[in-house]
Amino acid sequence: MSKKVGKNNAWKHILAITLVLFTAFPIYVVIVTSFDPTGGISSSSLLPVKFSLSNYTMLFSDPRVPYWSWMKNSLIIATATAISSVFIGAAAAFAFSRLRFRGRRLGLKTLLLIQVFPSFLSLSAIYVIMERMFLITPTFGLGSVWGLYLIYIGGALGVNAWLLKGFLDTIPLELDESARLDGASVPQVFWLIFFPLAAPVLAVTAVLSFIGTFNEFVIASLFLQDVERRTVAVGLQQFVGGQFTQTWGPFAAGSIIASIPLVIIFLSMQRFIIGGLTQGATKG
Amino acid sequence: MLYKLVGVRGTLALFLKLGVLGGADAFLIWFIAAAINKNSLIIAGVAIATLIFLNYSFMQKGAVPLKFLSVGLIFFTIFVITPTGYTIVMSTYNFKTGNEIAKTAAIKEILNNGIAPDIEGTVYDLFLGKTDDGKYAGVIQNQITLELSYADESSIKPIEESAIERDSAGYIVGADGINAITPEEFANDDAVITSLRFPLGDGSYVTPQGTDVAARLTQSVFYDEKKDQINNTETGQVFIDNGNGNFVASDDPTNRLDPGWRDFSGLDNFKSLAFDKNLRDPFIKVFIWTVAFAFLSVATTFAVGMALAIALQHPIRFRRFYRGFLILPYAIPSFMSILIWRGLFNTEHGAINTLFNINVDWFDSPWLAKFAVILVNLWLGFPYMYLIGSGALQSIPSEIEEAASIDGASEKQAFMAIKLPLLLQILGPLLIASFAFNFNNFNIIYLLTGGGPTNAIDGEVAGGTDILISYAYKTAFGSNFQDLGLSSAISMVMFVIVGTMSMYTLKKSKIMETL
Repeated sequence: MSKKVGKNNAWKHILAITLVLFTAFPIYVVIVTSFDPTGGISSSSLLPVKFSLSNYTMLFSDPRVPYWSWMKNSLIIATATAISSVFIGAAAAFAFSRLRFRGRRLGLKTLLLIQVFPSFLSLSAIYVIMERMFLITPTFGLGSVWGLYLIYIGGALGVNAWLLKGFLDTIPLELDESARLDGASVPQVFWLIFFPLAAPVLAVTAVLSFIGTFNEFVIASLFLQDVERRTVAVGLQQFVGGQFTQTWGPFAAGSIIASIPLVIIFLSMQRFIIGGLTQGATKG
Repeated sequence: MLYKLVGVRGTLALFLKLGVLGGADAFLIWFIAAAINKNSLIIAGVAIATLIFLNYSFMQKGAVPLKFLSVGLIFFTIFVITPTGYTIVMSTYNFKTGNEIAKTAAIKEILNNGIAPDIEGTVYDLFLGKTDDGKYAGVIQNQITLELSYADESSIKPIEESAIERDSAGYIVGADGINAITPEEFANDDAVITSLRFPLGDGSYVTPQGTDVAARLTQSVFYDEKKDQINNTETGQVFIDNGNGNFVASDDPTNRLDPGWRDFSGLDNFKSLAFDKNLRDPFIKVFIWTVAFAFLSVATTFAVGMALAIALQHPIRFRRFYRGFLILPYAIPSFMSILIWRGLFNTEHGAINTLFNINVDWFDSPWLAKFAVILVNLWLGFPYMYLIGSGALQSIPSEIEEAASIDGASEKQAFMAIKLPLLLQILGPLLIASFAFNFNNFNIIYLLTGGGPTNAIDGEVAGGTDILISYAYKTAFGSNFQDLGLSSAISMVMFVIVGTMSMYTLKKSKIMETL
């Protein structure tokens, strides 16, 4: 028996180790590159030849590279989007899961359909709207972090309503029925019963929304032209996006720093995130 | 009950609600005022509608669901539905480079272009400046007859020598009522100045050709509003509206006047996608690759992720480490990983060529580039498949496996015949969702290969790794030629495909039944 298990486990380790190497390869190269002062992406040898912190210090000292501003912008915009999306999504999911009203099924279907519309061609329409907004109030217009925030939470209803509705459906109906019998109003049921019960799922939704916003590149690069106002994604892309001049050193260093908070959040919430992802699969 | 203990009811709840709503109202009212102030009437209108809708939904007694949906609906309507509607409308428009402006603007430009120097080639010395109220005006002197005139945009009239000032060389340097402009002002306002028209009253104009020269031009092209046609009086040609955003010669439809205007074109964009060879062939090529790319992405990530989930289902040594480490690609921001991979594939310094000691130009060959895209997408996607795969594995009762084993099935047989079909059934909706996601996976194509390699010599827009969404993006926002109408039509085609798939999944997964 023990022999058989050993034989069976061999392929498991081979598979896992192959994948570990596959996964580790770019991560390893990025780490080596971030400490390489020459700025190339592993020029001749894969082994680290020189060690220097110059790429890291450059991010924080070079006035042309306002890395802290980029990080700050990304964190602000991702946090604000995550929190707002959760509230908007939770309220909508509650309405779709618990309340009965005309157009409910149609509304749900419409949300799903519009969600899969390849909408970023309409960027030019959004661009025109934001251009006008800029004239009215620069704080919420083109080129501002808060203008971008408005665009992001525009999509919040569609994405999160579906995700959260699946969870709310699993909360027993008796719970809110008894609360209603006790004289609680609908908003009270929502705020005092559903919100606390759904807290773990809401946290997962917030994290996924945070990561999604942090990752968003296309809209941000179109809307944030000013160097100081860029997000990390747009700012770092400038280092390596050029056809001919690519400075991988600072990009690698910046990527590592920017990844750390996300990886920590992700690993610490891993259990909940897996639960959130498989919810639809196993309960559906 | 909890809510009684917390006591957020009655006064306090009302107070909170009014506070938040009041804040939003105050902001909106300020915003409306600012918008009206800046003459943005459409935005002001939308903001007023928002204000009314918001207050109505929270202050009225019934319609509780509306209160939960209103805020989300407002943002959704402005930033998702409106732009989506715009794309749908644009797909029925002829809206591309050369046909971007409104018809009135196009006519104006055609008339501006339809000016020719007069037959005698009359040239004037010019002194150009601005009147006290900031309008351009000048003094012109016919170089042959030496006739002096005062010219502005309403008329040209004779002026006395005494009213002007000349320098020692005889150039006019000043005139009564005209303030000279500096060379900087001239340079900044160049476009306006060269389009100035000082009417001579006989249908011809004097137009500045520089700082100190003007020429007499005659209008040879006229717009006939009643017949909606352009007449060229010099050649006698007549240009008629071809119903597709251009004026064309009545005897030769290929002879078009530029610019055109954006015009309703019905299903023309869709027709050219289906029938115009130059558009259809790349479209079909891109379409096939899009389906192949999405399918291969799902297949490879699912195979690897599922294999890993099975390998790590039961405790083995280092399982915790494998689990933690192997979901890293899912946690690292994907735009960074994609860019890093792009660097790894670099021909000269790329780590991949260095590692295998080869010298391959990965992104120059369509097949290698396609391979690279799939490989990178595997790296990005297998952890997700592992996560949902292990979730699904846990939900399969272990009795099934035991029963199969009692019946004498080998582990492999049991997996292929029983578990895999079950897994596919459980994960079906997620796999289709993943297919739909990859169908529209713009980032990986755009950041990794840019859709290339592109055969630039043939002027191709579609590259070897372009999928529909990156192709549509290039068509709409490309550097040389932009065709928003066609691009919107491509989007519509994609929408129909992905939308149908989503609705099918929805039906299949029976979510709607529990609604």
